[in-house]
Amino acid sequence: MNFFSLIQIELQKIKRSKILLLLVIPVFMMWIPSILNADGIFDTQGIPITPESNFFVQGFMGMVWFMIPATLILCTVLLRQNEHTNHGILKMLALPISGPALCLAKFTVLILLTFVQMLLLILAYYLSAAAASAMVDYTLLLPPLFVFRTVFGFYLATVPMAAVFWMIAVLIASPIFQIGIGLASIVPSVLLINTKVWFAYPMCYPFYLLMIAYGRAAAGVYETTIDWIPWIPIAALLTLAALFIACLRFGHAERK
Amino acid sequence: MTQTPTIGFFQMLPLECKKLKRTGCLPAVVLCGLFAAAFPLANMLVRPEAFTTLPGDPLSILADANWQMIAMLNILLSICLCCIMYHTEFADRGIQKSETLPVKAHLLFLGKGTILAVSGIVVILTECAALGFCALHWFPAYTFDSSAAFALLKFAGFQWLMLLPTMLLMLCIASICSNMWTSLGIGIILTFTIYVFPQKNLLLGLLPFSTPYHLLSESVSADQTLLYPAACAAETILFALCGAIYPSIRRYHS
Repeated sequence: MNFFSLIQIELQKIKRSKILLLLVIPVFMMWIPSILNADGIFDTQGIPITPESNFFVQGFMGMVWFMIPATLILCTVLLRQNEHTNHGILKMLALPISGPALCLAKFTVLILLTFVQMLLLILAYYLSAAAASAMVDYTLLLPPLFVFRTVFGFYLATVPMAAVFWMIAVLIASPIFQIGIGLASIVPSVLLINTKVWFAYPMCYPFYLLMIAYGRAAAGVYETTIDWIPWIPIAALLTLAALFIACLRFGHAERK
Repeated sequence: MTQTPTIGFFQMLPLECKKLKRTGCLPAVVLCGLFAAAFPLANMLVRPEAFTTLPGDPLSILADANWQMIAMLNILLSICLCCIMYHTEFADRGIQKSETLPVKAHLLFLGKGTILAVSGIVVILTECAALGFCALHWFPAYTFDSSAAFALLKFAGFQWLMLLPTMLLMLCIASICSNMWTSLGIGIILTFTIYVFPQKNLLLGLLPFSTPYHLLSESVSADQTLLYPAACAAETILFALCGAIYPSIRRYHS
């Protein structure tokens, strides 16, 4: 069985899980305060930023800080728990399929779901920016090229985090610690973003990119250049290590 | 003919505790308490002068600086606990077996709710102990006498009451959704959406998932000492009733 049919099967498994509904709701809900506070977008509190950039940054702040990590954890719970009903995972593991391939197929589904979420996010951004523009009589829409490029950057930056969450989900059999460790790791990312070792903490990568976008839009708020050098090698290393460990240990807890 | 003895509330509690035995709930509560307690300690270790120079009561300075994150951790812990409590029931259809026992259906919910409330006391006391320690260690003006201890306990009690509606609403949600990811998803959505909503709006501020961020000092300075506790008590009773009545309306088929 090749890798693509494995992914197809994994997608089939989550077909009736209502996961898309759970992904759609937060994406749109997070924009409601921004629309309601559309007037406040002009009050920049002394920060030199245009209203349209302010709207973009304020709206995406909650999304990249906690909503994207939290929904990633949600998806890992879905991918792990869905198959525990009637010991489905044991049946999968008994088939002549390589364990690592199965593990990677599930990880691919995880990042596919995130990709869908990002597309929905762009849609939600444009809808709410259009609604807010109509309310305040000022165009709050940013050019699509910028929006797509930035959101795609966020997407790439979530991949290491997804790999780490997936590793946690594979290694830890007890669901309470699976969820607990993941959720607890989101909270301090706002502290770590301001330290020098942010690049060692995958949960704050998308937040870092947003802060860079903020720094570029408003001088003096944050740095304007991305520190590619320690970041990219370390992120790649963390991702590969997390995936390697996940593939190695996949199915161990269930076989016991 | 002898009647089957029904299990009362106080026999139900040990049973509920036994169900949680191997789920890791107890270590999770302790670890969450310690992790949350580490925030004020870390803050004081890294930049003590940012706080010690502020005017006012040390306890409220520390609470202002740290309680946002601590409250968020408490909410996330409540979500985890609720999800796991009902996950153990729904996995392998335990809940249908529970229904055949001579137990009143609402006791299942109330037993879980009591355990949740007690674990809330444990985490909040741990966190308040950390705040008290920081105040004692870094603020020379702070002395730990009986009035300071009373103030700390009052703070802990208030924050516990603020957390209760969130816990019980989450438990209701977990009892409704048979898939853990659905209840977890709803919990996460509620936590983070209400977090980005403006807390200053009174009506939104009184909602569950929003009250845990509310501090005792805010209530005192706004002269609304009774509003928040009364609202939280009412919400707690409401959600407890909802959760207790719900199982008798619904049949858990899978």
